[in-house]
Amino acid sequence: MDEAYGQELLKMARLLLKFESAVLKEIPLGTRPVTIGRAPDNEIAIDNLAVSNYHARVYAEAGKLVIEDLSSLNGTFVNDLRVERAVLRDGDTIQVGKHSIQLDAGHDAALPVNGWRKAPAPKVDETMVLDTHERREMLRQAAAAGERSQLSPARLRVPTLSVLSGRTDQAEYMLSGKLTVIGRSGMATVRLQGWFAPRVAAQINRREDGYYLGLGDRIPKVNGQTIAGATRLRDGDVIEIGRVRLHFAYRD
Amino acid sequence: MRIDAGAHSDVGRVRQNNEDAYRIEPALDLYVLSDGVGGEEQGEVASALAVETIVRHCLEAENNHATPLFVEPRPDISERTNRLASAVTLANRKIFDSASSHPDRNRMGATIVAAWMQGQRLSLVHVGDSRAYLLRAGSLEQLTADHSLVAEQVRRGVLTPQEAETSQLQSVLIRALGTAEQVEVDADEHVLLDNDTLLLCSDGLTRMVTDPEIASTLLTVEPAQAAADRLVDLANDYGGDDNVTAIVVRALPGSGGILQRLRRWTKHTDKSS
Repeated sequence: MDEAYGQELLKMARLLLKFESAVLKEIPLGTRPVTIGRAPDNEIAIDNLAVSNYHARVYAEAGKLVIEDLSSLNGTFVNDLRVERAVLRDGDTIQVGKHSIQLDAGHDAALPVNGWRKAPAPKVDETMVLDTHERREMLRQAAAAGERSQLSPARLRVPTLSVLSGRTDQAEYMLSGKLTVIGRSGMATVRLQGWFAPRVAAQINRREDGYYLGLGDRIPKVNGQTIAGATRLRDGDVIEIGRVRLHFAYRD
Repeated sequence: MRIDAGAHSDVGRVRQNNEDAYRIEPALDLYVLSDGVGGEEQGEVASALAVETIVRHCLEAENNHATPLFVEPRPDISERTNRLASAVTLANRKIFDSASSHPDRNRMGATIVAAWMQGQRLSLVHVGDSRAYLLRAGSLEQLTADHSLVAEQVRRGVLTPQEAETSQLQSVLIRALGTAEQVEVDADEHVLLDNDTLLLCSDGLTRMVTDPEIASTLLTVEPAQAAADRLVDLANDYGGDDNVTAIVVRALPGSGGILQRLRRWTKHTDKSS
């Protein structure tokens, strides 16, 4: 198979991220490698302790699709065989933790993506939990491994607040917790100075998809606009609470 | 800040058993709700065990700071939140052990949502599709992300929220207590403000009653107990397909300000003189 034909095939191929039989995401393959892992900057990010931060990658080589394990703790499995590196064929299933990723070469209109939803699914009355016995042991090991891997330096950028104006106890803060309180209160990370400063001026909550500024005893402004409720902060936003102005930015 | 809390749990209009369990522990300002999973009476066993284990672990830790933690403490959350996560981890282990040692209980599990307050600071943990909501300044916000298959599909953009509501896979959880030896617990923290209302509820409420209806009920029915009663009634009025439980916690102004403290102090000296 020549290079050009391989590239052509890649344009049509896609990876289907599945949990049990349900498709969670469809990832078109291009010429760039697709990385799989727990860190949010992977093309296929899987939020599960069984998955290493950078677990595996799929890339094209000489017109073929190759999967390569990135020294993950729990391994990468293709059709239930553990692999370091393997050539993928249409229909192959990659197992990563509890999730599976299927290669669909996209020859025809087989469309497994939505097919399962249109089929008359059995009516589920009782709540059920997806879990199988043989995966428990794997999860247990994964959890222990997950704790270890969390200690390894992540390539994540650190969110910071720099003080542009107003009286605070520091000039710059790193947001390291789930909750950051801005105010005069003893529990505040960003400690406002002065008798009339509000106890809780505002709060910042870390969520899966970023940092959210929420109300305190005051209603903060972001880039001059009064916020209506919890508002996602973007890199470079300027927060204003009374006389205090803070610059939110991600730093390396 | 003064707390007004109330709760109501009901079997609903279709089911035979109430597999939901909850507890309000006023001495700790601790609120726990669990929805049992599994046929026969297994669900009831699991949810009761979850609630009991969590309350006891937190009580024990309050009285004895040397109480062991069942999780590696995370540096990004407070000691109190780590303790609550530890309680949930212990509950998971107890349900799992119980299920492993009784062959008839091997499909049992439970969801959990628990809130623990320390002054204005709220620690919140959850596993499964029981939810926590915060009503603040008139708007309702869901604080927890469901560990259900459809919620995961919405987060990944495979389903729209509208499609999720009619999906036949709504009852499929991707995380629950007691189904594996280890469980990943979602933990979060918030600062509560005067006039905030916190709602903990099982999916029996949120599948029958829409968020705007929940918001307007919490806004119009003031006493916490009456609001919890009303929410459960609404779910039953709409069919009561599942067990339904609601815990309403209102943070009312009071006791914090200098004026109130002065007033209390004067009252106290009046009594003692």
